[in-house]
Amino acid sequence: MATIATPAADRPESMRSIFAHVATLARRRSQLTVRTPRELFVPLLTPILFALVIAPALKQALHTSVAYESFIAVGTIGLLVPLNTMFAGLSVIVDREAGAQRELLAAPVRRPTLVLGNLAVAFAVTAFQIAALIVASVARGIHFDATAGGAAWFLAASALFTIGMYGAAETLASRVPKQEEYIARVPAIAIVPWFLGGSLFPIAALPIGLAWLARLLPITHALALMRYGLLGEVGGLRDIWGMTSAPMMAWLSLLVVTTFAAVLTAVSVRIFARSALR
Amino acid sequence: MTNGSAIQVRGLRKVFPGGVEAVSGVDFDVRPGEVFSLLGPNGAGKSTTIGMLTGTVAPTGGSARLAGFDVATEPLAARRISSVLFQDPVVDRPLTGRRNLEIHARLWGVPGREIDGRLEAIVDAFALAELVDRPVGTYSGGERRRLEIARALVSEPTVLFLDEPTVGLDPRIRLELLDVIVRLRDRSDMTILLTTHYLDEAERLSDRIAIMRAGRIVALGSSRDLIAGLGDPILELHVHGDPGAALASLGRAGIARADAFAVGSTLIVSARGRSAGEARAAIVAAGVEVLTAVERRTTLDDVYLWFTGDDLAEAA
Repeated sequence: MATIATPAADRPESMRSIFAHVATLARRRSQLTVRTPRELFVPLLTPILFALVIAPALKQALHTSVAYESFIAVGTIGLLVPLNTMFAGLSVIVDREAGAQRELLAAPVRRPTLVLGNLAVAFAVTAFQIAALIVASVARGIHFDATAGGAAWFLAASALFTIGMYGAAETLASRVPKQEEYIARVPAIAIVPWFLGGSLFPIAALPIGLAWLARLLPITHALALMRYGLLGEVGGLRDIWGMTSAPMMAWLSLLVVTTFAAVLTAVSVRIFARSALR
Repeated sequence: MTNGSAIQVRGLRKVFPGGVEAVSGVDFDVRPGEVFSLLGPNGAGKSTTIGMLTGTVAPTGGSARLAGFDVATEPLAARRISSVLFQDPVVDRPLTGRRNLEIHARLWGVPGREIDGRLEAIVDAFALAELVDRPVGTYSGGERRRLEIARALVSEPTVLFLDEPTVGLDPRIRLELLDVIVRLRDRSDMTILLTTHYLDEAERLSDRIAIMRAGRIVALGSSRDLIAGLGDPILELHVHGDPGAALASLGRAGIARADAFAVGSTLIVSARGRSAGEARAAIVAAGVEVLTAVERRTTLDDVYLWFTGDDLAEAA
């Protein structure tokens, strides 16, 4: 009869080991993603259409200024990020229904790393798409006016907004049992806030009740910060906060978007860990 | 304390939301290197028990240790030394077999420099060379099952869980897989916990068998012990009429005791020195027709039916 060695205690994992697990999981997720190229390109179609076709058409029809094209180009990022992260969340349901999720749950890795592995790929794909959108906009003649500091604001806002939206997607994917139910809820999460969040027009143009609602939406803060960073435009921040100090308003909105990202990430990890176990 | 057990389960219990008690406080120990089967009908709690041991089902109560590691308080260590073959296919179908094996190896902490060697060895051992670089979605059911078993072994687990490993496979592939598991049992010190509702599988593969019914272990021992417990030989009578009345008549004649039971129109009675002819006469005297009456060796099927008969009758 065989014997087993006296067991050692459950040793804490090193950071290196945790990073190695996240890297393995992210590599797995990216390999699954590239096998479905629609996940990379479909979310890009609508924002590109808005930035490159609809905004110039509106400019011509409504006699708006060149600045409106830039305004819309940034606004479409507010559509691109939710659409892409929602697509990424769908893959969590596929994993659960027909993939290797239970094998991953039986693996000797911490459950949050499973979420972080997915997040890393959703983040990278979104970054690629935002870059593609900006390159396409510039190629179409749309003008951006970013300093190094402005670029930092833009990157921080878009990164945190992406993280928060992926948290929302992962949470939704963990809560709903079927892909059909998930897809049915996507418009309410990804598209309705986009219309209210100052993407196509300043929130000051909204009726007062909706304007107050818009001030509570993370997308409104994210878009205002992106425009502040990429266009040097402070109107969006002023519509939210009504202050005179642009940096102060930017920091406050960054705090809102950071809180959104942190809370949604924590909630998504918690909900995943709870719902994945039967 | 491990108590020297590879698997130690104490009062393990699972109540699902809605109040369904799938496992009602089971206790058992599995020795290192032993093949231990959980046998029972669908819904007996076998897969839920494995789920709690592998960390994919949260226990409601009780405790379990794998090689001394508590699955609740030391989950990473417990999962590090174990692997599981799930009842349903659990693979990344768009990825190749090799990539599925490699992901398992990396997550289970196989050192990077050893991964290629381990993969080549396991690919050879399971005759996967021609499949392993194809997407798993192109595999047949049997090929995918072979890959999943190979994957579970890449990390060289101390404890291997096989949850209904041959369910849904055609008979030829099933027999091939049973051979694989037999070789595994014969060649290694690995502890294997197997769930099945195929009696031949349990009898062929296991050192000991626990029969589960409605979330409880109702019998535990080697197949020989379990058969001896029921009594050998046995009388099997097929009746046309009320089997309850037939059993009662056997009871009145002192032939049937509490361990006699009926499954449909078939009565199973421990012989205890009485003949099939005596049993037939007792039943006929009660006005029930006897179609056949034979004395035969007791099998694990009889033990299983004795402990799970009601469930089987309901399922049928």
